[in-house]
Amino acid sequence: MGQTVIEKIIQNHTGEEVKPGQIVWMGLDIRSARDFGGPNVVKNYEREFGDAPLADKEKTFFTFDLCVPACSLKYADNQQVCREFAKKKGIKVFDVDSGIGSHVLVEESLAKAGSTVVGTDSHLNILGAVGCFGQGMGDVDITVAFKTGQTWFEVPETLKVVIKGHFDFPASAKDLTLYILKKLGTHKAALKAVEFYGETAQSLSLSGRITLCSMVTEMAGIIGFVPEFSDLSREEAAKLSGSKFSPLQADEDSAYSEELEIDISGIPPQVAAPYSPDNVQDVSDLKGTRIDTGFIGSCTNGRTEDLALAAQILKGRKIKEGVTLKVVPATKRVYEEILEKGILEDLFRGGAIISSPGCSGCAEGHIGLTGKGEVQISTGNRNFAGKQGKGETYLASPAVVAASCLAGQIISPEEL
Amino acid sequence: MKKGRVWKYGDDVNTDVIFPGKYTYSVLEPEEMTRHALEDLDPDFAQKVKPGDVIVAGRNFGCGSSREQAATCLKYAGVQAVIARSFARIFFRNAINQGLPVLQSGDAVDSIENGEEIEVDFASGKIKAEKGVFAFSPFPESVLGILQEGGLIPYTRKKLEGNR
Repeated sequence: MGQTVIEKIIQNHTGEEVKPGQIVWMGLDIRSARDFGGPNVVKNYEREFGDAPLADKEKTFFTFDLCVPACSLKYADNQQVCREFAKKKGIKVFDVDSGIGSHVLVEESLAKAGSTVVGTDSHLNILGAVGCFGQGMGDVDITVAFKTGQTWFEVPETLKVVIKGHFDFPASAKDLTLYILKKLGTHKAALKAVEFYGETAQSLSLSGRITLCSMVTEMAGIIGFVPEFSDLSREEAAKLSGSKFSPLQADEDSAYSEELEIDISGIPPQVAAPYSPDNVQDVSDLKGTRIDTGFIGSCTNGRTEDLALAAQILKGRKIKEGVTLKVVPATKRVYEEILEKGILEDLFRGGAIISSPGCSGCAEGHIGLTGKGEVQISTGNRNFAGKQGKGETYLASPAVVAASCLAGQIISPEEL
Repeated sequence: MKKGRVWKYGDDVNTDVIFPGKYTYSVLEPEEMTRHALEDLDPDFAQKVKPGDVIVAGRNFGCGSSREQAATCLKYAGVQAVIARSFARIFFRNAINQGLPVLQSGDAVDSIENGEEIEVDFASGKIKAEKGVFAFSPFPESVLGILQEGGLIPYTRKKLEGNR
């Protein structure tokens, strides 16, 4: 019997033949902790293992991305706790100016196709976008990963999703993702790895792959892979991850728990209404919903291509008076790219404020929270009650967020 | 084996309501964490929960943010076990790693009502409730080892000491 992508990656890191349902101890190529979770990892480590050395300091990292630079004293203290531990142990810190950890790990060629990475970020499975096993875990798991370089893991079953048809502007990878989330809900992919196939999946850019794979978390799945790469997307992934790029492929006779086809032909932009990411509707069904603020960024939609899409809508226009638009590039590298390409200027002149790179907007941070009664439209991945403050959050693509900020209400870009 | 009162909730109970986001971004002590457990879902819970109580919920319990505190606050509140139709994976792991048993049994979830007293027998894999006795699938050996040692860290320490 053949094996799926996740089965191959896990097997390569356990040294025994694996099958779904089996719980194994697997080796980890990279273990990381953020400024969220990281301080607890340090506290656990020092309490439980004292001065004992890490399994391998060269494979252990801190990636500060949640509240960067610190906007509360607690965060400042917590980050310093991590820095001091890092200094003692000789660990590299991607500090408060770096950006979202999962993206930094890809840009730095640390998260490689076929490798295994864990960290304290529930969207670390984004790394599936480059064929890497990424998994968010709690601080106890990560403490043990720092100490032993290993973790226990249940080999998941794999769901095969074949995407049929194509999407066209104003739809984007985010709309494809929200549409798939609507179809799969939070149950069909629950506790499974997902492999996405079809011509549209194959030709997704790296940024589009990241968008799709990031929201496998919201589908309650373990991780998403898009195993096949068109020449263009392979070239892009190889360029970004900076190394020989050879993602593992599933065997033809792999056993999938289920095989589904989702036809996306002609989908309009999709919007997830409060308070659940799978509460997805066509943009036209929510047209006219008043919005007070927009957010473009996050690990789901914070790459150059995402910000370029928003800039294209905003160029030569101004967001509606009384509306605010907050933009947060995923990483410092993305920041540099939008600066060089003039995207930053288009966003700024359109009325956006642009913050330092990181997770802000999805979590607490400089870009702010929503107050009671405030309505936000966001390119993030979660709109649970209380997640970004007391207001309501709608999830959409960068293009829909930009258009809605121009109109002061939810609207499709083609209707501007 | 001890009787515990059931606190019953629905599907998709996310970690933001199990342990509110506004408290997560700081390192908190166990007693303080217990006071905020399930605060946004059921304000009564933290005040009235007693050691040995059991949470019963629907699908995808513990979805959302990876915060460890969602499992620890329940453990520290004395929750004996969480029984659900299914669990979000990160929560499932965190619970096991904290030594908090998480049991899957759709039949038990269908039958057990809020406020009733139930017994959980980990050795035989049975839940004794008012409307009957329900079985749950036993833990695989590696997970059982972690639960028996009281969590992943004590388990790892024991393993490291054994290797010496």
